[in-house]
Amino acid sequence: MIRRGFRVLFVVIFVALVLKGCLVKDVPQIQSSTQIYQERQAKIYPIPENITLNGIDYLQSQAPVGIFGGELITSTIGEGPKTFNPFNSKDNTSSTMAGIMYDGLLTTDPISGKPIPKLAKSYEISPNGVDYIIKLRKGIKWSDGKLITADDVVFTWQDIIFAGFGDTSIRDSLAIDGQLPSVEKLDNYTVKFTTPKPYAPFIRMLSTPIAPKHVFYPAIKKGSSYFDSFLSTNTNPEDFVVSGAFKLKEYVPAQRVVFEKNPNYYEINKNGDKLPYLDRLIYLIVGDLNNEVLKFEAKEIDIISLQGSKVARYKSLEPHSDFDLYNLGPTTGTMYLSLNLNDRKNDKGSYYVNPVKQKWFQDLNFRKAVDLAVDRKNMVFNIANGIAAPLFTPESLNSIYLNKELKPYDKNIEKAREYLTQSGFYNDKSGKLFDKKGNRVEFDLYTNAGNTEREAIGVMVKQDLEELGMKVNFKPIEFNSLVNKLVSTFDWDMVIMGLTGSPLEPNGGKNVWLSDGRLHMFNMRTPQEGKINILPWEKELDEMFTKGALATKFEDRKKYYDRYQEIIYNQKPMIYIYSPVIIMAIRDKFKNIYPSSLSGLTYNIEEIYIRE
Amino acid sequence: METLKYIIKRIIQTIPLLIMVSVISFFVIRISPVDPLAELKLNPSVSPETVEKERQRLGLDKPIIVQYGKWAISFVQGDLGVTSTGEKVSQKLKERIPNTLLLTTLVILLTWLVGVPLGIIAAVNWKSSFDRFLTVLTSIGMAIPSFFFAVLLLLFAVKTGWFPIGGLTSPNFAEMTFWGKVFDVAYHLVLPVIVLFTISLAGLQRQMRANMLDVLDSDYVKFARAKGLSEFTVVYKHALRNAVNPMITLLGFEFAGLLSGAALTEYVFQYPGLGRLILEAVLKSDINLVMASLMMGAFMLVLGNLIADILLIITDPRIRVKS
Repeated sequence: MIRRGFRVLFVVIFVALVLKGCLVKDVPQIQSSTQIYQERQAKIYPIPENITLNGIDYLQSQAPVGIFGGELITSTIGEGPKTFNPFNSKDNTSSTMAGIMYDGLLTTDPISGKPIPKLAKSYEISPNGVDYIIKLRKGIKWSDGKLITADDVVFTWQDIIFAGFGDTSIRDSLAIDGQLPSVEKLDNYTVKFTTPKPYAPFIRMLSTPIAPKHVFYPAIKKGSSYFDSFLSTNTNPEDFVVSGAFKLKEYVPAQRVVFEKNPNYYEINKNGDKLPYLDRLIYLIVGDLNNEVLKFEAKEIDIISLQGSKVARYKSLEPHSDFDLYNLGPTTGTMYLSLNLNDRKNDKGSYYVNPVKQKWFQDLNFRKAVDLAVDRKNMVFNIANGIAAPLFTPESLNSIYLNKELKPYDKNIEKAREYLTQSGFYNDKSGKLFDKKGNRVEFDLYTNAGNTEREAIGVMVKQDLEELGMKVNFKPIEFNSLVNKLVSTFDWDMVIMGLTGSPLEPNGGKNVWLSDGRLHMFNMRTPQEGKINILPWEKELDEMFTKGALATKFEDRKKYYDRYQEIIYNQKPMIYIYSPVIIMAIRDKFKNIYPSSLSGLTYNIEEIYIRE
Repeated sequence: METLKYIIKRIIQTIPLLIMVSVISFFVIRISPVDPLAELKLNPSVSPETVEKERQRLGLDKPIIVQYGKWAISFVQGDLGVTSTGEKVSQKLKERIPNTLLLTTLVILLTWLVGVPLGIIAAVNWKSSFDRFLTVLTSIGMAIPSFFFAVLLLLFAVKTGWFPIGGLTSPNFAEMTFWGKVFDVAYHLVLPVIVLFTISLAGLQRQMRANMLDVLDSDYVKFARAKGLSEFTVVYKHALRNAVNPMITLLGFEFAGLLSGAALTEYVFQYPGLGRLILEAVLKSDINLVMASLMMGAFMLVLGNLIADILLIITDPRIRVKS
């Protein structure tokens, strides 16, 4: 019996040792996030230039000349595209797929973020900021051989977008005081857009895909419900007429989308050969992140975006593997902690927020104390595995409007206590925090259950705030219930949420920052309340956003948006925590890769080729 | 004639059942706190007008009872409606059903072809070393959760590179010859079939063995042996016929699982079947799609039981006499 016990013990120890060995091998320590940060100094992307050959205005790639042939296999998470019609897409995957096939007039410079010509040859904005003259390329063709002309552009804007076909979000965002811009054809290759007032975000809208009139016109004739199912996923791939580098070849539900090269694409390389280099671009439809990782490791896909926890392992694998890692910098997403500043009553006459708590949340010193108690660096290391950057502003770190004057700071518990003392808060002998009327400082902290990252942040915020003697009841709740609290019932104290924004256009965040915005969560007003009880700094925010949208020069706009970030930085209705950093891996056989924090890794898909 | 009457009676009985299933599922889905518009509401670039328009399009502005009525009327007329993204539900199901059927029928065929004979052999050679060996194997098969087993096999595929990581076809499937295509599909099916086969084989083999042992112990088998019939006749003519009855009921349930039984395995292997489609639909509270799949499940169960009962009438004279 005793001998048997020994044997069992021996086996257990052996197994434990083996497991430990595995653990040590698998997770090499990374010293700091800067180690990955400094990798691979970004090569400067040579922006394609215009060139006229035989009377055709081509776009000429300035990147090194490559070899034709081959395919790139990438993946899309979820259930795949819902439609291939660029005007009907409501989800990311569908927009990506449509974006591959249909080019817009303009695109974004992947490095500077400025709008640059794509399908258009050049553009000009009149000094008064309302007229946009777009010159088109002469002689370039749709994939079926028909010329791309001003008629297509006018048709797309006039008869599809302004007429309200498909998804109307573009139209909604363009209406200025209820008025839409107008578009007119000056000649076969020139188009003029006129906005009712100077409206800076309009220029970004010109990257909206242009549709071939000869294909879309019959669909428009059949009405809006027909258009909703036009170019759906059941459409025969032969029926697509495209302007982009690739054209749909095959769609297999829940498995893959295959694109083949468009022989009429208007970009050429330095030798005058027509791009793209790759014959095919394949998207595998993958259900979840784990499967995507397995597929990458089994070499079924060529490119992957890595989660923070996986980066260390891939980093150690990289030297003796066939892929390269690229650091694309912080994402456009922001993670924040928000306090409820609402001081109003609901229609039943009771306060949304307990009046005792209202006093705390509306006290700037209290908010400053909370902000100083939050240990962002600790969260970056322990939650995001070092693959993130601390955040202090509402604009994401790669935003071209980021206010760089607003300096980061560290956790400072003494200073936090000072702020609390200034407002009459005091700690009792056991360290519990009370306000000046003797109420124990205790509140609820919500986030959406199931999001492990936010849950982890919640736990750390709770610990940090308990250092100040606050009692935090951390409650992860179901996403829908949380959204309901935030946008309908307003009965919450503190919340951890994330929002995605655009690094190019702060105006997209107006719903969050305008005092009557639909997502003005930290001091949400019902539509009936309008702009009731507006705080002075909220008023200033409104002003900055209104002015920012109407100014057209980047420098002028920057001033307004700098000020808006400063207001949030000082008033702290939302306390920003960190932005995850995107790390991508791609097989090293692919060349002409120019990583960009704004556009990713494959924005120049037509220039990417496979080395011998 | 009697049988036909019985079938018609059974079919009529299923109607109230289906109505109840549909009412309960519809209300449970709609009352659950999943808001199909939550994502939209939290997107800063979506205007309130768009949210309102979506609410009207999905019919969420009406009371639940009206929503149910609308759904039921179009369902009875054979229209399954559209998904929350505007695609036809019938089209979505049509894309996936053949894939799921391919996987499940293959598994059922294999398990029955292997499981039933193994059960008989084990029972006939009761307590032999072969029987013991099978018992151990089936214990393992029953003990491993399908989800876990599937993940293990996937890891195996990654490490060895012998099998594809899920899916049903390779990216260059369209260019393959006919036999190339057959081989490609078979190659992709190996791992999911192994998982489902191992797990259902275990149950089936044990069931068959137990039935057979029961029967072999009965008086009429002893009598047949005493009469001096050959062992072959005793086992295969007298015992087997009686032992197979409970298996037919089981077959009815297997039929019900044809469309939904493999959902977990399908999910792990990223198999383009119904499992993935319906899981996503449930998460997004895509009511028409969820309802269509639930009704399909209920329908298959009822149909499976009906088929089993009819088969029983044919194989078992005792039931025929009673009815």
